[in-house]
Amino acid sequence: MGLLTFAGGIHPYEGKELSMDMPIKEYLPKGDCVYPLSQHIGAPATPIVKKGDRVLVGQKIAEAAGFVSANIHSSISGTVKTIEPRLTTGGTKVNSIVIENDGLFEEVNFAEKVMDLSALYTEDIREIIKEAGIVGMGGAGFPANVKLTPKNEADIDYIIVNGAECEPYLTSDYRRLMEEADKIIQGLTICINMFDHAKGIIAIEDNKPEAIKLLREKLAGNDKIKVNEIKTKYPQGAERQLIYANTGRYVNSKMLPADAGCIVHNVDTIHAIYEAVIEGRPLINRVVTITGDAIEKPCNLLVRTGTNLNEIIEAAGGFKDGIMPEKIVAGGPMMGRAIYSLDVPAVKGLSALLCMSHDEVAALEPSNCIRCGRCVDVCPGRVVPSMLAKYAEHGDIDNFLKHEGMECCECGCCSYICPAKRHLTQTIAGTRKLILANKKK
Amino acid sequence: MENAFKISSSPHVRDKKTTTGIMLDVVIALIPAAVFGVINFGLNALMIILTCIVSCVFFEWLSQVVLKRKTTISDMSAVVTGLLLALNLSPCVPIWMAILGSAFAIVIVKQLFGGLGYNFMNPALGARCFLLISFAGQMTSFTYDGITTATPLAILKNGGTVNVTDMFFGNIAGTIGETSVICILAGAVFLVARKIIKVTIPFVYIGTFAICIMIYALASGRGFDLSYLAAHLCGGGLMLGAFFMATDYVTSPITPNGKIVFGIILGVLTFLFRIYGGSAEGVSYAIIFSNLLVPLIERFTQPKSFGYGADVKDGESNSGSRSRMNVRSIVIATVAIFVITIIAGLALAYVQKITKKPIEDANQKAKEEAYKEVYAAADSFDVMEINYEDAKNYLADNGYKCDIEEIVIAKDDTGNDIGYVLVINSHEGYNGYMQIAMGVDLDGTTTGISFLSLSETAGLGMEADKDSFKSQFADKNVEQFEYTKQGATADNEIDALSGATITTSGVVNAVNAGLSYVNYMRGGN
Repeated sequence: MGLLTFAGGIHPYEGKELSMDMPIKEYLPKGDCVYPLSQHIGAPATPIVKKGDRVLVGQKIAEAAGFVSANIHSSISGTVKTIEPRLTTGGTKVNSIVIENDGLFEEVNFAEKVMDLSALYTEDIREIIKEAGIVGMGGAGFPANVKLTPKNEADIDYIIVNGAECEPYLTSDYRRLMEEADKIIQGLTICINMFDHAKGIIAIEDNKPEAIKLLREKLAGNDKIKVNEIKTKYPQGAERQLIYANTGRYVNSKMLPADAGCIVHNVDTIHAIYEAVIEGRPLINRVVTITGDAIEKPCNLLVRTGTNLNEIIEAAGGFKDGIMPEKIVAGGPMMGRAIYSLDVPAVKGLSALLCMSHDEVAALEPSNCIRCGRCVDVCPGRVVPSMLAKYAEHGDIDNFLKHEGMECCECGCCSYICPAKRHLTQTIAGTRKLILANKKK
Repeated sequence: MENAFKISSSPHVRDKKTTTGIMLDVVIALIPAAVFGVINFGLNALMIILTCIVSCVFFEWLSQVVLKRKTTISDMSAVVTGLLLALNLSPCVPIWMAILGSAFAIVIVKQLFGGLGYNFMNPALGARCFLLISFAGQMTSFTYDGITTATPLAILKNGGTVNVTDMFFGNIAGTIGETSVICILAGAVFLVARKIIKVTIPFVYIGTFAICIMIYALASGRGFDLSYLAAHLCGGGLMLGAFFMATDYVTSPITPNGKIVFGIILGVLTFLFRIYGGSAEGVSYAIIFSNLLVPLIERFTQPKSFGYGADVKDGESNSGSRSRMNVRSIVIATVAIFVITIIAGLALAYVQKITKKPIEDANQKAKEEAYKEVYAAADSFDVMEINYEDAKNYLADNGYKCDIEEIVIAKDDTGNDIGYVLVINSHEGYNGYMQIAMGVDLDGTTTGISFLSLSETAGLGMEADKDSFKSQFADKNVEQFEYTKQGATADNEIDALSGATITTSGVVNAVNAGLSYVNYMRGGN
């Protein structure tokens, strides 16, 4: 039997060797921290502090504004300087709480909040996760407690920990698995126990054999959780493809994973759930891979949310030979966002900072589609990207929908593979956003 | 500010493969077939290949300049078109025809429809079919080893037998690039290994064609004839077409299932054209016709998206296998495409058949006129059955370096045999090939000679075509002619053309060969 996987996908240069053997090091911010009120999918949080307030590490500074929203906590101690729009990694200005760092890192008493696990009901755990402001840390930022609140609890068969880390260069999840495997297992166990008959799957790509080995050893005899070795291929970690590879179940754009009896969480999210439930700590830090050929010392840093990216780069030894990179990507090279300024804060969904000394994409000129069909071969959504892009260019929404344009997950495979260097993903994604925006009206 | 970083939408990395790289790979894959063509057919083939490539690139550049488009000749696609066109031409076509074909391929088929990616049919094959229709004679005249001969497929169609081993290695007549199956397969393996093409279309195409041929062989009483099948697979443009032209990205379906449907249609059409059409070959027409069906095929073969229908709970939730179209519409679509295919296939085959007769009549008329020129006394001519193999051996044994293309019997107005007309192929001209017609009466008197093909040096060798030279042979009853530079004194002496001794000698040798063979044929020694 072959390895678990899906049809399509690509094999870009992995680049993981740069940072995969670098243990996680904590970095504490020196300067002010900025907390955008929108670091998640859903409504922006509402500030509950005001200018001049003194805050502690772990103190809630903004509150979820609705069901799909998330709390935000301070990751430093200091004084609220201002609440104003600040530039974010997304490239737009978002209303943010700015806290002046006093350098003391004085914490609220986390232990005080910890409750006896055996006395907790599912509802209590959801409340703890919600209170801790945990969102999907793979990048999408979907509130974790909402994911854990399916329409029908009895339908949940699997909780899948997404350890695929299929984006090239990223190694933060791998380090978490290697260094804090026990916490991941415990976090997952907490999630499994929220449902009657759910089982756990930790899915790891076969390019991380040591992580697979380690977790299998630790899970020997555990019949509730299994470790699945999945094929190294992008986008193996895409939610729908991951569910299919591990369970053979299909999820389309009209469904939630829970409709197929699955809940998928990123490794770091599961870790955050562990910290919230067992240690009483809210989500105030995450592992960020600082990598790329323009970085002096690629590494994995445990970074506090709100930390200025300039500081993080500095902590990684700065840029190689002091030369500014041509491009910096927040996230992986396939789906990450290029940022034009480093003067932005780290957010909950920041998995990596990829610094490229050369931007290979900038010089590429798109030419005519030669209908080679490579985009069709690699598309994990099994649509015809070249055709969808054509409809998108012509503004032909009817045909775009008819040909399942909404099934695109914007993974970027078609743009990656296109020999004519056409902007397929970008074109399709633009039209998808338009359609979604019109739907909301 | 330090915001000097470049911004663009993800993805931020790209695969190394480019359009130019793909085209280059196709060119590389075609090199074995092209080199073999040049070795097989000589420098003329090389001239045609270079002409097609250069003129395709030129016309691409010209039309893009005229149409005010961005010049994209560096993407190599015009080179591929030129090379493919050349490999689809007979090595005997004149250079101007190669240029005309290139212009048609690039300007009409490709650029006028929008350039790379928008052409509705394969440009090289479109041009080939255009030339085939316009210049049927020259496009279907093939030589091998300098001798005009029928292609194995034509021999097969007329009930003859062929040597499959020669066909596999390519030692046969045909277009420049189609003869050597092994060279084409070598290129195809390279393309598959480089992931430029997928085997779906070629395999389904060849498979369907093979099944059709076997059914036909069984139904027509040939029985389970594997050598007949092998001859059909190795013959004509099938391999070149299946691996290099049917797989053309632009003019084949982009959908996975569409590729299968496309291959089946190609196989059926090729079969219909080859067996029921007027011409022995059918690959080119089958491919360009199927090219036109591609939009229709794609419409009916849209893939099911990931998880299509998984959201519909129908008892068996999550199967993901709810089909996109219901069974009825799939059946209707399939039937529609096949009815179109069969009707069009038979119609095209029929048209080929009815146009074949006038073309043959015209050729026949031209020949008769040539016969008349060398045998004025004759009223009609009848093709004579001779043993060409024996003739070839006889001439070779007697030191003649020419061969007999055809012999006809000349008859007077009452239908009595009065002599023969021989058509002789010679390679002893200064520039190589000459074709000479000569008349000989029953007494062995040469009635006259003329040239059906002559390409000697103008002003020197070409003077041979003047009456003053040709008439020296007329009405002479001699056993053998000789040429002299001192001024002819005897009947058997021919004045050499000044400055063209080689041409003179070649013509004299050819005429002597004819005389000698007539003598041999009539029982002399």
